[in-house]
Formats: sequence, structure tokens, C-alpha cells
Amino acid sequence: MPELIKVRPTKIELVKLKRRLSLSQRVQKIVKDRLSILTMEFLQTARDTVEAKRKLLDELSKLYKALSVAAGYHGYIALEKELIATEVDVKVTAGLGNVAGVRIPSFELMGNVKPIKGYNLVDTSSWLDRAAQLSEESLRAIVELAELQRNFELLAMEINRTKRITNALEYIVIPGLQVTIKYLNMKFEERDREEKARLKRVKVLVARG
Amino acid sequence: MPNPLQDEVPMQSGQSPYGKMLQDCLRGELRVVNTGLPQSQKRQSKENKLFYLLNEKYPHVVCNDGSTHFFKKSELEYLASMIDTDEQKALPLPMLIELGANQAEAAIICEGKVEEKVISKALNMPVTCEERGIRIYKPQLALLRRKFKTTTVYVFSPKIVA
Repeated sequence: MPELIKVRPTKIELVKLKRRLSLSQRVQKIVKDRLSILTMEFLQTARDTVEAKRKLLDELSKLYKALSVAAGYHGYIALEKELIATEVDVKVTAGLGNVAGVRIPSFELMGNVKPIKGYNLVDTSSWLDRAAQLSEESLRAIVELAELQRNFELLAMEINRTKRITNALEYIVIPGLQVTIKYLNMKFEERDREEKARLKRVKVLVARG
Repeated sequence: MPNPLQDEVPMQSGQSPYGKMLQDCLRGELRVVNTGLPQSQKRQSKENKLFYLLNEKYPHVVCNDGSTHFFKKSELEYLASMIDTDEQKALPLPMLIELGANQAEAAIICEGKVEEKVISKALNMPVTCEERGIRIYKPQLALLRRKFKTTTVYVFSPKIVA
């Protein structure tokens, strides 16, 4: 049962309540639209996250295999010596985007991770090249997954918040306003009837006197 | 519910703090939905055209609330691969997806034929621009958003928000 809002039974309050009702109904429409968009984005992000995670696991599995083969071929010490020279800083561009009022991060690896191989191409085999290539791909997959997972969390939080607002509007605010408006209308009608009855009574008394 | 025929007035004067907070919250909701839009003057300028954004180190536009909207280079390059240089100079970014009263469809606000070409190529189907908007359905919208995550932005119809 919706609760009656405590206001003075005056015409001004009735007008104010009607305005509030109209605002609430408009907001409800927007919030519902927003919720549907957020849900669509959330589902899409969930699907993308699953796909990205699967891709990352595949890439990592291939990478470890390639690295094991390369380590077996060159030996750990020789491989480590070659790989020391290959260390480079990874530059990730981070920015913010906006999805229906939610600020979501977006990450992107800047340019090629490693345009020039740091290790000696003469002394190393193609196994190491393969491992290096796979590591680059894994890095990209990690960055992509990081972005998707953060988006996933932010969208989920916003959906929760928006759902609470929608429910509050649908089940508490709007019914409360409607009931109060109805109550005030009935009150005013009753006052009119009372006034009419009083006038009739006065008329009768005047006619008698 | 109290009996409306009762004479006594069980009301308190003024709006309760909870009511005020609720109204502020609702007004905040109206504000928040369109904060991610690019500033109007920026949208008219050439800095937000694809061609110029491609040359920027960190491609972005400034939004209504003063924040920045970042574009992914890979997406810009994908967009650039669809159209020629003249069209790149005419394509404003981000593309605006307007959500109207009808929840089943959305409209992409377009100022020229370039958007039409881009959307048509992205969705792999012919689309036409009617009344400065390309009408698409929800499944197509999801497909489009998947391809252009940072280069499209949702707009809530001013008819609803106003």
C-alpha cells in the first residue's frame, strides 16, 4: 500500500505534487531507457569478457609451450641471456569513455609493443621468435581483458543502482504521489459539498426568519 | 489510508528532507544521462573530425561536463579504412545514437552522407538517412556498439529530458 505524503491540503500543494508526479514519471522513463541500454551493454561486455578470457588462456598456453620448446632448444642460461636485452617498457594509453552516464575506462597498447627484437637474430632460433610473437599477442589480450573486466564491474554496479531507483520510483514515489493527489482532490470535493450544504441550510434559515 | 472525509488535517507543513533528497536525486539523474556528449561548439569545429583525430597523439573530445571522451586509435583506423580522406574530414566524432520514445529502435544522428556510408558498411546492409537520422533496431545497435565502442555515444532524446 503506497504511503500518503504529509502535506498541507491546499491547492498550491496539489499543484506542487502534480509537478513532482510529472517529473517523477519523466525520470522513470529515462531511467528505464537507461537501464535497458546498460543491460544491453552489460550482456555484450559479459560475452566479450568470456571470449577475451578464453583467448588469453589460449594465447598463454601457446606461449608457455613455445617458451618451453625455445628453452629446451637453447638452454635456460642462454635463453635468459638473450631475453635480458629484450626488456622494453610497455606503454598503455588509458582514457575514459561514457556509456549512458557511466564513465568507463578504455586501455590501448601504444603502437607496436616491440618493433625491433632486442635479442640476437643470428644466435637464436625461430622458436624464440614464435615465443616473442605470442608474448606480444598475450600482452594485447591482457590489456583487452583488463578493460573489459573493469567495464563489466562498473556496468554491474550502475545497473544495481539504476534498478534501485527504478523500483523506488515504480513502487514508492509515483504511487505515493498519485495517492496523495487523489486524497487532496477528494478533500477539496468534500469541502465544496460541505460549502454547498451550508449555503442551503443558511438559505432555509433565512427563508424561515 | 486516512479517511478523506475526516475534518482534521494530519499534514505537516513543507516538504520532508527525504522528499527534497529524492527530488534532487531525480534531477541528478536527468543531468547525468547526457553528460557524456561532446560540447556543442566542439562538435561544429574541425578538431572532432575523424581526419584530425587520427593525427592526434591522444585522440579525444571534451564533453559537456568538462571531462574528456577518449577514442581508441584502432577504432579510428578502422573507420578511416572505410572512407576516403574527404569523407574523413567530414565525419564528426563521436557518432550520436539517439534513444527516442520507442524502445525498440534507435536513431543515429547524421549531418551528412558519410555516417550513412559508415553505418551501411559496418552493418553490411543498406541504410538511409531520414530527417537527420538513421533508424536502426536494437540487434543492429548491439552490433554497431561492438564495432564502435568509443566512437559512438548514447544521447537521450531532448524531447524526454526537457
